[in-house]
Amino acid sequence: MVSKISIKFGGASGQGINATGKIFTKVVSSLGLNTFSYREYPSLIKGGVASYQIDFSNTSINSSSRYTNILSVLSVESFHSYLKDVSKHGIAIFDGDSIELTEEEEKFVKKNDIKVIAFNSQKLAVDSGGTPIMANIVLLGFVWKIFGQDIKVLNKEVIDFFKKKNLDEKIEKACIKAGYDSPLYKKEYGSFLQFPKAKGKDKNKNLSMTGNDAIALGAIASGVRAFYGYPMTPATSIYNFLGSHASETGMLIKQAENEITAVQMCLGSMYMGTRALTATSGGGFDLMVETVSCAGISETPLVIVMAQRAGAGTGVPTWTGAGDILTTVNAGHGEFPKCVLAVSDLRSCFLLTCKAYELADKYQMPVIILTEKQIAEAIFSTRNFPTTPKVNRYLQKGKERYEITKNGISPRWLPNKSSKPYLHSTDEHLENGESTEDAESIVKMYKKRQKKMEMLERELPEPVYYGARNAKTVFVGCGSTKNVMLDCISQNKEIAYLHYEYIYPLKTKAFEALAHSGRRLVLVENNQTGQLGELITQKTGYRFKEKLLKYDGRPFFVEDILDFMED
Amino acid sequence: MAQNTEKYNTNKRPTWCPGCGNFGIHMALKTALAELEIAPSETFIAFDIGCNGNGADTISTYGFKGLHGRAVALASGAKLANKKFTVIADQGDGACFHEGIDHLVNAIKSNYDITILIHNNENFALTTGQATVTTNQDKPMYGQPYGKPEKGFNINEFIMSLHPTFFAKGYSGDIKELKDLIKKGIKHHGCSVIEISQLCPSYNKEATPQWFNEHITKVSTLKDYSNKSYDKAMELSKKMTNDKIYTGVIYQQNNVESFYDNLKNRKNYKTELVDEVKEYNIKPLLKYFE
Repeated sequence: MVSKISIKFGGASGQGINATGKIFTKVVSSLGLNTFSYREYPSLIKGGVASYQIDFSNTSINSSSRYTNILSVLSVESFHSYLKDVSKHGIAIFDGDSIELTEEEEKFVKKNDIKVIAFNSQKLAVDSGGTPIMANIVLLGFVWKIFGQDIKVLNKEVIDFFKKKNLDEKIEKACIKAGYDSPLYKKEYGSFLQFPKAKGKDKNKNLSMTGNDAIALGAIASGVRAFYGYPMTPATSIYNFLGSHASETGMLIKQAENEITAVQMCLGSMYMGTRALTATSGGGFDLMVETVSCAGISETPLVIVMAQRAGAGTGVPTWTGAGDILTTVNAGHGEFPKCVLAVSDLRSCFLLTCKAYELADKYQMPVIILTEKQIAEAIFSTRNFPTTPKVNRYLQKGKERYEITKNGISPRWLPNKSSKPYLHSTDEHLENGESTEDAESIVKMYKKRQKKMEMLERELPEPVYYGARNAKTVFVGCGSTKNVMLDCISQNKEIAYLHYEYIYPLKTKAFEALAHSGRRLVLVENNQTGQLGELITQKTGYRFKEKLLKYDGRPFFVEDILDFMED
Repeated sequence: MAQNTEKYNTNKRPTWCPGCGNFGIHMALKTALAELEIAPSETFIAFDIGCNGNGADTISTYGFKGLHGRAVALASGAKLANKKFTVIADQGDGACFHEGIDHLVNAIKSNYDITILIHNNENFALTTGQATVTTNQDKPMYGQPYGKPEKGFNINEFIMSLHPTFFAKGYSGDIKELKDLIKKGIKHHGCSVIEISQLCPSYNKEATPQWFNEHITKVSTLKDYSNKSYDKAMELSKKMTNDKIYTGVIYQQNNVESFYDNLKNRKNYKTELVDEVKEYNIKPLLKYFE
């Protein structure tokens, strides 16, 4: 039997919400359950309203519910912000003696049978010999009791988590116990909660990691030896992981003076023959765009991770969206070959990063890896992390660097003392790299480069279909929508989903077959204009009659899709 | 020592104007490489966009004619990937002090082991003579018949303020001296900045070879000058103007670690980044996610 629970920890930034979320994730993972965690936080360091929501289940889970069974908050402000997200028969715990509900909140609580519990966790933490910030641990104890779970499991994970911080184990245990044994506990609290039971024991250890971690691992696996970065949410944690582990990997890490430098250093390193990476978000990517064009005409391999967030300009910097699909597809002036991939979960973050380098080397072109805040910073769990694919470089010696060949791919050898030197040029050039303005030569070189695009398009796979063959409604999307769609498909067999990993060049055979089948097609995208849909329309002429678009900075929740089906 | 520079030539003939300073700069560069016995296949040059970059296909080394203003950033990425190469960033005053000034600042600060050549012809020449920061303020230029409204700034003082580990000034008309400066710059461990006063017979007609001869002083002729003294170098740099030019090694600081030297995690590596591309087993890293 599938059962799923959602719990949200909330408070102000700086109140230890992240640590609480991480510990809880570890505790339920240790029971053999799968988790998916989603963070909301403001673009500031201390204060505001932040949350850490964990959905956990005994089956695979890759997205969040809109409504949480338990809300546990440390600040009044976050209580008011998140109360509306508590599910029917849910529980809302806040730190303090009492809280004043608005009239509207009173009505909501009554209508949905929500139990509001005043729980003075800060006081209990201090009484147990701890500091006020250990209120988190007291709350964990209380929640664990509501779930009816064994206190020893929680003790072990909490102590494990704080091992490095030299905290007093006795006090930690006392805080947990204070929550767990609180007289405020009532048996009825747990009556609507069906705590999932793990389906057998999986030998493999559970791993919890973000999409960015998986991209960083993909870079390490495929032999990336230099990372040039400039901080920008939500790409920054790639830099953090690679930097924090540089002593183990030997990777060269450089925080460049700006995004243009970062991407130019990548280009220089890639020209010389190592593999380099840079990662950024919309604004930073805009600065890199000239280099994308430069890599295109000079046929230099280049890989950029573009982590999307909500909005134009600065937008809503710590929230999610997928509004930069066309930005990447159209990146760079002039006409030149490039490739755009879109990751969705840990597996694709890892494998598509490896694939990006293979394609960049093989086709000597810029490859852009699209991710989203919802993938970049969400914490997925897995017991089957993929292994490293073989690294292929596609190097070969030749007469001229830009030799015109049948498939458009010219010989490329790495600069070294014993080989013939060559010039890469952003000027239109002849086969030997010499600049040219000759009409015939210009056309020849254009055609040569375009052939690579044709070959790449033949090589790339069609989008993947998920769900029953006869499902009545087929959603079409890319990126993080896959995760929520798969969770919906497991709940509603009427739904299927066509998922695009390779955005550009776009494959449309599978889509056109679907369109001709007469089934109901719904475009689902985390942006305002349906950008993947526009690409599909451009190539097939098909216009989506139905679009489910969301652009409020939030990811798609399971309920968004299921409600859409009900309407 | 006369050296054969043939091997650094391509079959392409330069497209510069007759009398252009770039002829001299290229000759000095090729001769410097030849005398140092650095083969074309051991050299990487990042070229900028502008008249200097138009010579990219006339030098036979590994090279990249990239984007305007970005030669220094591209060159530093190339050098870090393979330190065995002699890496040169070749750019004009427009690229260096306008489009890409941040790269100059950060390359000096990071002390990448590269050599930066600045072809200073005191204007944007390839786009037919617009004012740069080094153009005299009241000089009529393209689109600005009454001169530019901005003040210029002393690029020498600016470069010195960044505490470079090597700063030299040359002149395109004195190929022998320039060649020696480039050799010193290449041999210097760290970021070498060589600013070159360049003849531009099309858009800086006033500065003829004769004019330069009258306005250049070699630092080697100065009494009590030491390019080991930061204070003296700064004092001299402050005195420099477009009309008061000093050539030679203005300042050099030896034994300063380069960016790469300071990478603690690369201390035990004997290989270059380019030698290390292969598949890596990530299993040992997975423990951090348990």
